[in-house]
Amino acid sequence: MANISGKVYGLTILSPIIEDNRLEICHSMELRWYLSQLPRDCRSPFAQLSSTYLARLVVMDDVVFVGHPAHEDHLKSRYLIFESNFDGDLDTYLRRMATETKEFVEAVWKHCVGFPGTNDVAAFLAYMKKCQLNTTFYFADVNDQTVESTLTALKTQAALAHFMEKHEGMPAAELQRAFREFYQRLSKSPALPRGGNQLRDIRQEKIPHD
Amino acid sequence: MTNLNGKAYAMNAITPMKPWKTPILKAFFFILGVVKPLQKDLKNLSFIHFARWVSVGRHSLPHLSEQQPHEDLTYDYLLFFSNFNGTWNQYIDAFSSVLYRGLDAIWFWSEKYPGSRPVTAFKRYIALVQFDTDYYYNVYPHSATNDVKAALRVHDALAAFARTSQSLSPADFGKAWLELKATVAPDLGSTGIAPEGT
Repeated sequence: MANISGKVYGLTILSPIIEDNRLEICHSMELRWYLSQLPRDCRSPFAQLSSTYLARLVVMDDVVFVGHPAHEDHLKSRYLIFESNFDGDLDTYLRRMATETKEFVEAVWKHCVGFPGTNDVAAFLAYMKKCQLNTTFYFADVNDQTVESTLTALKTQAALAHFMEKHEGMPAAELQRAFREFYQRLSKSPALPRGGNQLRDIRQEKIPHD
Repeated sequence: MTNLNGKAYAMNAITPMKPWKTPILKAFFFILGVVKPLQKDLKNLSFIHFARWVSVGRHSLPHLSEQQPHEDLTYDYLLFFSNFNGTWNQYIDAFSSVLYRGLDAIWFWSEKYPGSRPVTAFKRYIALVQFDTDYYYNVYPHSATNDVKAALRVHDALAAFARTSQSLSPADFGKAWLELKATVAPDLGSTGIAPEGT
């Protein structure tokens, strides 16, 4: 199935946006305004949906005219594109969206045609599946990991680099003792924040881990 | 810029295709999915976290209510979404110089596609069919694809070392430590800071 590569699921949702000419501010503009204010780091709703690697929301206004002699097509609705790459299965992911990021889902999809809300989770799942497009070809460079195991590996890498730098040239017996403590601490230390933190200018390897 | 989040760039593109060409493209993608060696160049480039092509029939756009007007399109459409590291120009240049055969086989079926070489016409076409991202989330904004792969190798090497070094004498531990350092040294660096702008 082209939506899946190893442990990774590639979800593509295309939801028609409500068109209402009576409104002063149209739904697509309100939606864009909301998305522009939404945090993109560890405060993002996708950081709560802990199995998300990368996700995007895009308002598609129209299709593209590539020039003559091609025919000029136009859409009659605008569409919200939701593209997500996550580990695990689709039903669990959508169910978590409806229950764990309820406010966010309501704020986004209330602008879309036929959105049933999130109180009835089964109806929400059915709605999202109606809007789902099957992927024709999906490529995931690393597809045998979960978000959790990837973040653990990134934490390990940064911590080991720091440990090696700090203990350079230490006698073997002391080093062995220090390593045992380091490895125990490492396994108990919290995972890296999903989505990074606000201080984006602090690079990961500069954050002390031990 | 919303197309960027840390080291990842979100690209969206849409191209029109005459409906009779869609099954041919789908057959090509089927072969590409089944014959893994054909993905070798894509894999070796090692700067794309995830990418997908989605073919949408002109009558297949979701229709959810009688109030929603029915679409009346001439073409089928090919959507392309990519999550890559680096700048837009680096990405398109790499496509044109390394992946040109595969890309031409994919986009050849789209209207007015000029080919991926020379790169100037290719860039003009991609700029025309691309549209911007309104919201982009990245779980590891500080990490490129190569950083992730390196971290996984380091994690495995360290886990193996922790397992095997438990009962070693200090002298043997010292030797094993040097071996570990030599093994992981190439993977402890960083591939650099995130790009600014395009």
